[in-house]
Amino acid sequence: MDVVATKLYRWERRPLRHLDPVLLISVLALGIVGLVTIYSATHASLVAQEIDPGFFLKKQLAFVTLGIVVILVAASFDYRFIKVYAGIIYVASLALLVLVRTPLGTTIRGSQRWFQLFGFQLAPSELAKLALVAMLAAFLSQLRSSDLSLPDLYRATAIAAVPGFLVFLQPDLGTSIVLMAILVGILVVAGARARHLGVLALTAIVLIFGALQLGLVKDYQIARLTAFFDPQNDPQRSDYNRTQAEIAIGSGGLLGRGYLKGTQTNLDFVPEQHTDFIFTVIGEEFGFTGAIFVLMLFALLIWRAIRIALLAKDPFGTYLAAGVASLLAIQMFVNVGMTLGIMPITGIPLPFVSYGGSSFLTNCAAVGLLLNIHMRRLT
Amino acid sequence: MTEGRTGLRLKVFAALVAFMFAALTTRLWFLQVLAADQFRDEARRNAVRLLDIPAQRGRILDDNGNLLVKNRLSLVVTVNKQEAGSHLEDELYRLSNLLGVPAEELAARVEDPRYYVFQPVPVEADVGKRIDFYISEHQRQFPGVTVIQEPVRVYPEGSLAAHVLGYLGQISSEQLDDPAFAGYRPGDEVGVTGVEATYERFLRGTEGVVKYRVNSAGQNLDQFGEQQPVRGQDVVLTIDIKAQRIAEESLNLGLQYAHGIYDSDTGRDLQASGGAVVVMDPVTGGIKALASAPSFDPSLFVRSMSSDEYERRFGAAKSYPLLDRAIQGLYPPGSTYKPFVLLSALRRGIVSTTDYYPCPPAWAVPEDPLHEVFHNWTTANLGSITLAQSLYDSCDTVFYPIGYEYWRRYYPPTEPPVEQIQRDLQAFGFGRHTDVDLPFEQQGRVPDAEWKSTIHKQYPKSFPDGQWFPGDFVNMSIGQGDTLVTPLQLAAAYSAIQNGGRACPPHVFDRAQEADGQVLRSWHARCHRIPFLQAQIEYVRQALTQVPLQGTAVSAFIGFPFSEVEVAGKTGTAQVFGQQDYSWFAAMTQAQGRQYVVVALVEQGGHGSSTAAPIVRRIIEGLYGLTNTQFTAGGETD
Repeated sequence: MDVVATKLYRWERRPLRHLDPVLLISVLALGIVGLVTIYSATHASLVAQEIDPGFFLKKQLAFVTLGIVVILVAASFDYRFIKVYAGIIYVASLALLVLVRTPLGTTIRGSQRWFQLFGFQLAPSELAKLALVAMLAAFLSQLRSSDLSLPDLYRATAIAAVPGFLVFLQPDLGTSIVLMAILVGILVVAGARARHLGVLALTAIVLIFGALQLGLVKDYQIARLTAFFDPQNDPQRSDYNRTQAEIAIGSGGLLGRGYLKGTQTNLDFVPEQHTDFIFTVIGEEFGFTGAIFVLMLFALLIWRAIRIALLAKDPFGTYLAAGVASLLAIQMFVNVGMTLGIMPITGIPLPFVSYGGSSFLTNCAAVGLLLNIHMRRLT
Repeated sequence: MTEGRTGLRLKVFAALVAFMFAALTTRLWFLQVLAADQFRDEARRNAVRLLDIPAQRGRILDDNGNLLVKNRLSLVVTVNKQEAGSHLEDELYRLSNLLGVPAEELAARVEDPRYYVFQPVPVEADVGKRIDFYISEHQRQFPGVTVIQEPVRVYPEGSLAAHVLGYLGQISSEQLDDPAFAGYRPGDEVGVTGVEATYERFLRGTEGVVKYRVNSAGQNLDQFGEQQPVRGQDVVLTIDIKAQRIAEESLNLGLQYAHGIYDSDTGRDLQASGGAVVVMDPVTGGIKALASAPSFDPSLFVRSMSSDEYERRFGAAKSYPLLDRAIQGLYPPGSTYKPFVLLSALRRGIVSTTDYYPCPPAWAVPEDPLHEVFHNWTTANLGSITLAQSLYDSCDTVFYPIGYEYWRRYYPPTEPPVEQIQRDLQAFGFGRHTDVDLPFEQQGRVPDAEWKSTIHKQYPKSFPDGQWFPGDFVNMSIGQGDTLVTPLQLAAAYSAIQNGGRACPPHVFDRAQEADGQVLRSWHARCHRIPFLQAQIEYVRQALTQVPLQGTAVSAFIGFPFSEVEVAGKTGTAQVFGQQDYSWFAAMTQAQGRQYVVVALVEQGGHGSSTAAPIVRRIIEGLYGLTNTQFTAGGETD
């Protein structure tokens, strides 16, 4: 190999040459969809309160900008460092989850999940998602055999169960579900046997049943869940959100009612419509066409994540990418499914679209990791 | 690590994700494409509130355009909760002091679920101007409180014709379920009785509506559509306030007068606990006056009333003044029934106008083993008399054999049974609704064998006999026994005699019109001929002209100018078990191109000639503008 060829080869392999433009475009597109819909969801009530109608739009724009920085930062260093520090990150995230239960944490709407820091709300459960992805990837990539043994499966489950349980206590059922989905996603890719996964599911069912029996689940969570399973028989009216969300999406029809013209949205009938229920705005104002477009963006994003898992040069990268793919897919599915009435209401934001910094930046970091793995697949 | 197994596992993973997308897309397709229309409707209902603007209710006028019921504006204090906000509690205490209504009561009224959050709730009606001024001067202490003007019913003639006019009340839950009241909502005012109820559909008008866009908190955002209310139509009655006034006055005077008459049968003065008068135009069936005593003041129903007050004002102690005795009171007709019995007997060939009939003091059913004796009202033997005299002298013993003849034709019973008298009486309108356009009319009773056995099975204690006897026909022939009529039925039947055999349903409605007098609907007379020979009807009518001249009502009509006004009539003294006699008089008049049928009934008013006949005389004098005479001591003749 001559010098020029070697240089060319090296140049060819430089990480910056291997950004994934499709991945970036899909994330950016979702972010823009978010900005557009957040404005629609919030301008009317802001005007009513005589506040700048672009208030939330501007804040989200700042988050998007910050998110791009986060993506770049997360892609800049070699992701294999994460494997080295995975243990420390994991333990630190657990410590924060414990700490948030102390008076240092802030309670918002009956749920103690945040640290108030320099005017920002920091949710350790967001960090826990990434930490779990990293820890599981690190743990599983060290194993020698290509198939996963049952004891290892239990170890991996234990790794996920600790933060899962801490988050569940906050209470934050949604994030618990996300953490468990990350576990299942990575386990599938790591070669867990279907039979073992079945045993795991059975154990989970027993534990959930136990939790209900011991009163660990708050009443409102049970009410929401029973409303989901039996919407007709609901004395608490806890299916109000669900009904209003369905009306909003259903009334959108094939082409939607037009931007800023959704009555469900503009007249505040759907609760939390710029955060958890943002998809109802898309459904109402842009219709089936708009909703499918947004789902296609997510499909694109997750396809790229799976592709990166396939292309990764080491098992750690594969598991890391698979974990991120699980993270994004489950959040998207639970959130959209909730607005469509096929999943319980759990309070999970729609990645990149819902208003809010914490979740947006976490997801950007995750995408940054994907990019990181993709860029360094050849070095 | 691109080995095949990982690739395969990632494909499994991708399949799981694909399954998620498939689930979401399917559900989206269902919601947005298949069920979109339904959801769009629901969204519209969510976002739009309709607020009604009540229509002004139509007025009620008499025959000559005099107002009987109109609307007046009442000052109503309303509270808008949304505007009052957090000051509501303080504000209600201040209002409580101002209005003299307990604060808890006001708080309860403000929470009336019939009103939206953004809608002002009326908490007190008919307040003085002083309160209006005070609130507007101290508006800062009363955020969201407004004094508005609302129309309420007002009665320029006071209690005149109260039973005909009726009153308004809140719509009942039964009515709300009734498709006839589609479009009404809880809390709506609706006619409860009288013309207000019958012609609710004309009087009500059409509510206007304002469309508001509201948000999920029910806050009013803007108004985007409005439909003005359409005023209710005025209803013009056949009632003539002059006739009505004279009828009510005469009835009340008659009752007072009766209270001073000693009743030798019971050894007490007459109770005269109530009465009724009907004045009707026999040609059209139009009711000129309809009076029932005791009466009530309809303006009491403008405000709400506790059940105690209701009982105190309208209960047994006051002889149930809300009862319209003219159409709801059921009484045995006594001798006022005889003209109709006679017309039946003539029709069936039982008697003849050319024959003479004995009028002994008493009569018994032939071959009756018990030999029960039926007496005439007088102990005198009038000898052999014509049918005409049997009417004007009201000879019971001429009618008893007629009743017995019906029995002979009836017994032994055949299939179908021969109940000629019942059919003929029903042809005059007895035993069935007159279909007068006033609610809750009673249909009276023409008893027959079937009725008697049915009622006996239902109420064996009150009706100990289930069998049909000759005595039932005999009693019926003089309007006693189980026969019951309303004063209006009797008036309608006498109208058929007066107009030569046409039965016209009585009515109070003349027309419905706009406020400017443009007529929208008029009464359609639905008269029909009844199956009696005109000559026989005229024979009976002529006979009745002798009643005030030389018959049983002669004492009540002493000095009456018969040359000016022709009066035919019939007295009736109905016996009611355990009570004093009920006094009846039915008259038919003709003069000045006008005809009237006037029927008066006085409960426990003694003989027909002593109480009812003087009342009718006074009414006739009023109707034709004659000088009113004093009540004179009527004779004790039937």
